[in-house]
Amino acid sequence: MSEGGAMRDQWYPVGMTKQLTAQGRDTMLMGEPIRVALAGGAPSVTDGTGRALPVIDRFGHVWTSLGQPEKDLFTIPEVDQPGRRLVDVGVCRVRCSPLRAVENFLDIAHFPFVHTDILGSEPHTEVARYEVEIRDDVDEVWATKVKFFQPQAAKSAEGGITTDYMYRVCAPTCSVLYKTCPPKPGEWDVIALFVQPLTETLCDVWPYMALYDDDAEMTDLIHFQQMIFVQDRSVLENQLPALLPLDPGREIPTRADMTSIAYRRWLKRHGFTYGAQLVAA
Amino acid sequence: MGMMGAACSDPCASAPTPDTGDTVPTDWTPAALSDDIPVASAAPGQLGPHDLAIWRSASGRIAAWADRCPHRGMRLSHGFVRGERLSCIYHGWGYGEGGQCVRIPAHPELTPPEAIRVPVFSVAEASGVIWVAEEAPDGPPPEFPGVVAFRSLQVSAAPEALAAALGGTGTVIETVLGGAQVVALIQPLRGGAAGLHLLAPEGSDPAALDALSAEVEALRRRVEAAEEMTA
Ligand code: FES
Ligand SMILES: [Fe+2]
Repeated sequence: MSEGGAMRDQWYPVGMTKQLTAQGRDTMLMGEPIRVALAGGAPSVTDGTGRALPVIDRFGHVWTSLGQPEKDLFTIPEVDQPGRRLVDVGVCRVRCSPLRAVENFLDIAHFPFVHTDILGSEPHTEVARYEVEIRDDVDEVWATKVKFFQPQAAKSAEGGITTDYMYRVCAPTCSVLYKTCPPKPGEWDVIALFVQPLTETLCDVWPYMALYDDDAEMTDLIHFQQMIFVQDRSVLENQLPALLPLDPGREIPTRADMTSIAYRRWLKRHGFTYGAQLVAA
Repeated sequence: MGMMGAACSDPCASAPTPDTGDTVPTDWTPAALSDDIPVASAAPGQLGPHDLAIWRSASGRIAAWADRCPHRGMRLSHGFVRGERLSCIYHGWGYGEGGQCVRIPAHPELTPPEAIRVPVFSVAEASGVIWVAEEAPDGPPPEFPGVVAFRSLQVSAAPEALAAALGGTGTVIETVLGGAQVVALIQPLRGGAAGLHLLAPEGSDPAALDALSAEVEALRRRVEAAEEMTA
């Protein structure tokens, strides 16, 4: 799968726009060395041979592709709503498949055990039935009507509440989650996970948030999200096999895993197999 | 590289003398010292190609299971023990007797199907050592009167090279090290490495144990240096 297959023609985050320098930063995309720099005031990305790669500057991050993307990068309309604070959380390197990182982001059943007393707590472990679909018009995976009890749902939440979520997979290594926003009932906080596939088993994760939170310090918001992600990393680096199995193989999903099942099915349907394994192992 | 310390014998120079380096055959593989897996804890281990989760229940029962949760592949050695169950740290699935899944927290009302079961290995404790095997061996693992579990080390050298340095072959070597009559148990590890589980004379005073530690660490350095040269 080292060629990247259909995933070569997709967009990937490769850095934060505000951290760009003229000198540039060397990084990797799907096993190939690339350089991300500021050239004449605009972001530029070049591959190992100096060839210029396509560039999009969106959501505070620079996006590129090794192939020829047919579609524009997805949008997150909520980001443009007035009153939201946009937070570039920074980077977290994880020794895992980029697809495993996304799958973990789609998962709520782990909250009481991995994010104990923050995003979940025993005995509130039940995952109620929710809805999952692959929306053909936009070609995205959506999970809706997801509910889970959280002792401290966000930086701005005090005490436990039942939080509503929606999940959206809009690119093979990108997902957006919408969750109840305690200070602004009726609105959703937006938290996105942008994953840069360095190799099939190594990735840089760039979380990004658009929140209605007027009170919290920016550094507190960032630290909260980073703490959550460090907890996820301890799981992600210890899953076997390292590659995400697209066929159930030896894994046993339950009803709580419906989003994961749909994500894997969607990946398989598109031939998005970089970081995946097709044969059960 | 020069000689390290005052080794009692040069392990590479000659065949073992008859009164040391005795080899005891066994179908069990030493995997850890009992003291290293306290009550209500889990730790990773190895048996040939298999990763193990070795854990001890609240009542003290030892178990060695495949180190992979059947749900989504998380290592069970990172899990937590409550009572007589090992639970996976990812989604909290709980496993009891025989590796059977008994609890899926996301679906508290559900009785997990019998098919959800972690592969289980044979395990036994003797002389403060945890022994494992793929198929249940005919007899129990060997007992060693007069010695007690002392410490485990990992050596970056082939098990055969380590055994030879101790003047023996195989898994169990009774020999003299740092002036003490010891039992050295050798565990093959992946990546051309070996585990060395050392049993020291019962009632050894701290000075004698310090000397033994220094001796075995020197031996490890010698074996690793020799391995590097041949690599
Ligand atoms: S991977 Fe072990 S409970 Fe989910
Ligand atoms: Fe998480």
